[in-house]
Amino acid sequence: MQYLRRDKKDEEDGSQSNPFQNLDKSAVLQEARTFNETPINPRKCIHILTKILYVLNQGQHLGTTEATEAFFAMTKLFQSKDVMLRRMVYLAIKELANIAEDVIIVTSSLTKDMTGKEEMYRASAIRALCKITDNTMLQGIERYLKQAIVDKNASVSSASLVSALHLMKPNYDVVKRWVNEAQEAVSSDNTMVQYHALGLLYHVKKNDRLAVSKLIFKYTKQSLRSPYAVCMLIRIASKYLDEEPEVADSPVYDFLESCLRHKSEMVIYEAARALVNLKNLKSRDLCPAISVLQLFLSSPRPTLRFAAVRTLNKVAMTQPMSVTTCNLDLENLITDVNRSIATLAITTLLKTGNESSVDRLMKQISSFMSEISDEFKIVVVDAIRSLCLKFPRKHHVMMNFLSSMLRDEGGFDYKKAIVDTIITIIEENSEAKEAGLGHLCEFIEDCEHTVLATRILHLLGREGPRSQNPSKYIRFIYNRVILENAAVRAAAVTSLAKFGAHCDSLCSSILVLLSRCLLDTDDEVRDRATFYVNILKEKEKALSSGYILNGLQVSIVGLERALYAYVKDSTHTAPFDLKTVPLATTPMKDQVVKPGKTAIETPSAPTKASAPVAATRQDVYAEQLAAIPQFSKLGPLFRSSPKPAELTESETEYVVNCVKHVFNDHIVFQFDCTNTLNDQILENVKVEMEPSDSDFEVVCYVPRPSLPYNTPGTTYALIKLPQDASSVTCTFTNTLKFVVKDCDPSSGEPDEEGYEDEYVLEDIDVLVADHVQRVHKTNFLASWDEIGDECEMQDTYALTQMTSLEEAVKQIIEYLGMQPCERSDKVNTDKNSHALLLAGVFRGGHDVLVRARLAFDQGVTMNITVRSDDAVVSEVVLSAVG
Amino acid sequence: MGLFDKLAGWLGLKKKEMNVLCIGLDNSGKTSIINKLKPDKSQTQDIVPTVGFTVEKFMSQSLNFTVFDMSGQGRYRNLWEHYYKTAQAVIFVLDSSDRLRMVVAKEELDILLQHSEIAARRVPILFFANKMDCKEALSPVQCSQKMGLDAILNKPWHICASNALSGEGLTDGVDWLTDQIRLS
Ligand SMILES: Nc1nc2c(ncn2[C@@H]2O[C@H](COP(=O)(O)OP(=O)(O)OP(=O)(O)O)[C@@H](O)[C@H]2O)c(=O)[nH]1
Ligand SMILES: [Mg+2]
Repeated sequence: MQYLRRDKKDEEDGSQSNPFQNLDKSAVLQEARTFNETPINPRKCIHILTKILYVLNQGQHLGTTEATEAFFAMTKLFQSKDVMLRRMVYLAIKELANIAEDVIIVTSSLTKDMTGKEEMYRASAIRALCKITDNTMLQGIERYLKQAIVDKNASVSSASLVSALHLMKPNYDVVKRWVNEAQEAVSSDNTMVQYHALGLLYHVKKNDRLAVSKLIFKYTKQSLRSPYAVCMLIRIASKYLDEEPEVADSPVYDFLESCLRHKSEMVIYEAARALVNLKNLKSRDLCPAISVLQLFLSSPRPTLRFAAVRTLNKVAMTQPMSVTTCNLDLENLITDVNRSIATLAITTLLKTGNESSVDRLMKQISSFMSEISDEFKIVVVDAIRSLCLKFPRKHHVMMNFLSSMLRDEGGFDYKKAIVDTIITIIEENSEAKEAGLGHLCEFIEDCEHTVLATRILHLLGREGPRSQNPSKYIRFIYNRVILENAAVRAAAVTSLAKFGAHCDSLCSSILVLLSRCLLDTDDEVRDRATFYVNILKEKEKALSSGYILNGLQVSIVGLERALYAYVKDSTHTAPFDLKTVPLATTPMKDQVVKPGKTAIETPSAPTKASAPVAATRQDVYAEQLAAIPQFSKLGPLFRSSPKPAELTESETEYVVNCVKHVFNDHIVFQFDCTNTLNDQILENVKVEMEPSDSDFEVVCYVPRPSLPYNTPGTTYALIKLPQDASSVTCTFTNTLKFVVKDCDPSSGEPDEEGYEDEYVLEDIDVLVADHVQRVHKTNFLASWDEIGDECEMQDTYALTQMTSLEEAVKQIIEYLGMQPCERSDKVNTDKNSHALLLAGVFRGGHDVLVRARLAFDQGVTMNITVRSDDAVVSEVVLSAVG
Repeated sequence: MGLFDKLAGWLGLKKKEMNVLCIGLDNSGKTSIINKLKPDKSQTQDIVPTVGFTVEKFMSQSLNFTVFDMSGQGRYRNLWEHYYKTAQAVIFVLDSSDRLRMVVAKEELDILLQHSEIAARRVPILFFANKMDCKEALSPVQCSQKMGLDAILNKPWHICASNALSGEGLTDGVDWLTDQIRLS
């Protein structure tokens, strides 16, 4: 306290605002030697400990030796009876626990403090003790912790319950023996103890659904005093209900519903939020929860209003109709002094309201756009995006609004959100295209973000040439060439070239403009200009579509690797073959499966602009496979199946997923296995495969030497594809084979002796789509003409099971595994015929194009034409739909 | 230091502080001995093997003792040395009924005596030949033979038989220690 006061004085003097600023780590550690002196000077030692904590929290790294030395010096302070000093020591122990060695030295001292008479020590000693203990030590202090859980001092009880939660991860088998004590603590009168005890109880049982249901039933009946505990119970219950098929009939649902009438507002809100977020609830059953949130909307407390409107905003995204009842109250919040609340209210209304209210709301929101933070501006932009998809006719209001937002001040994330939205609107609604492109042109006239400028220039190059009046974009693009940095100039040059390649009438003027760039100061800009000028001068459609419109469709990471290998190999007998480079696939971040709902929500951090060349999932696989000696001679990886196939039911003893990796003449099957039995270690794990077609030959297996409990491991099988190029499909029956060794679940120590066992897995099919990689052709017709009809095949099928054109289109894309071009995957719902254009590359580097004409009349009739440079390939692809 | 403490110091009223390190093999009775030396009301009934160390305090007529009671288990013995530097005296407890491990105790004593923080200093060492009540207990003379105590030339040492459960022999040892401090 004394020195706090002194700090204050320093502050007033203005001499030094933070006494700990610029602390030198080694000087502080030097000072720590003072701890060895007797008698101990508590005030001085507290000050030094504070410095150590400060240095650690500033992120400075302490080496093991220096940390250990400081730690042991600090243990001497246990001889002082000063309460403040002792409590500082606890804090420092916790901070150093993971850095210093032999920290168990303080075990007995802490045990003594936690059971001793000094109440000020007990709770903190428990927390420190749990930080330094390990599995073997824990057994020794177990009985003290069990006693502490039921201690009548609430802070002691809470400390041990929370520590138990922390200890549970590495020591589940010990902590689960404390259930009886935890149960007793749930009946405590103290609100925090009850909350923490329920938390521990749940976490011990959470993997046992039956036990969880018992827990819910027990505590829903015996009403809990602590509102925190009730909130916890609500979360447990809603998680439980999400795995239940019939929600509304469950008594657990009744509990949630009854919580809407609880006396604590916190509980009421928690229940309402849980109810509206239930996965399997019908919209009718939302009503009671919505009404409660509606009441909160007019609460005098801003937190409650904010919570309610935020939750309703989310509901409105999926179930706008359920929220319409709140429209009046939401209207009142439009002018709320808290702009965050106002923004959420308006964007909710935009989702629930009808078309006529849009103009009014947009006007309202524009009145205070300048007052809200970027984060909430993005919420507005998102609302506009969904609004445009809902009311396509309103696009001009929205477009104007978006363009004025583009002109306003704002950070990168905000501008990016706007540009993304405009692009989405353009893609979804062809009527909005001209206006949208116009706004974007205006934006790049004064845009400080290179990433956005290049992206828009790319879009202009793709969309501009097909618009009604392509020439009007040229000026905007050429201005970039004159005024901008090198990256933007290069993008502008490429964009211009696309106009030249696409529009014959503009070609000569484009050539003039590009020639002016031949003397640019930047290499990249000059190279591009030179390249395009020479291609365009040839005046040959095939050339310009192949090298300007379509561009390279290879994986950048793969290209780098292939070039590197080529340069390293000194023979250079053959020229570099672009066919050996794996094709481009979607970047990894787009493929990541969204994780399920987590127990406690965290706001997702805004994604930063990603690295220039993101390795795709397939690039990552390619690297992993290349590292395995048996696979080093297979050539470039052609295609990895996009989603792992599950070969086991969920919640079985062993979980196995399979990914297929197709190479030029081989397939590698990658089996990701998890052993969910904690009393077994599997060894020599492999999956034996039996092909239905004996031309598919098993070359070898790469077994997994050891598969301990809950640590995923991978085993591979290598299959050689048949000589006959037309035989590409096959079904494999699979068996997981391994040696089992029983082991002690707590220590993981296995028995000496094992025995062989096996486990039957689901079948795996290899389909035509596995041999095809998606490729996008910007100008499909040009490519179609270019490839010619030499190896053309066609046929007509009646697809009787299909009930709509949309469904048929989806299925065909899936069967063939090819890329829809010219947005032909979007079916116009008014029409009953459709043309689907698909492009891909077949294993071995053969270009394949497909044109399918579909007609709907009760069933779907399809006329399909396949073109490629190889007759066998055309035949195989055609057979995929048959 | 408060004014009163200072005054008390001048007048010789204030007791001298004394920092003692208590070591010895596990199960020899270190914690039990220290416990018995404490005032009756702060003694505990529940003595378990020590993990690491604990700090205890007790008084004799003229001294305040602060004792670091170390754990004697094999894997913690190498941690004793962290506390050598600050020790003004050492209590080394022997389980006189554990003939088998007397050699182990001697080994630990030798390591202590050779340690750089101890070797050159005139640190008094008090040996308790504990568990004297046990039938097969060795006498202090036998213990000191087995431990080779006669070879300790540069430090004052003393051995006495003790029973930590009854307290017998403990004051004898503490009195010797008090004398040593007063002499120094
Ligand atoms: N019969 C008898 N038993 C004793 C005597 N002193 C200690 N014990 C017992 O010996 C056992 C070990 O005593 P502790 O005091 O825990 O031994 P320690 O040296 O502290 O052991 P660590 O902390 O593991 O190093 C206990 O069961 C004591 O009751 C004694 O003088 N006579
Ligand atoms: Mg002990």
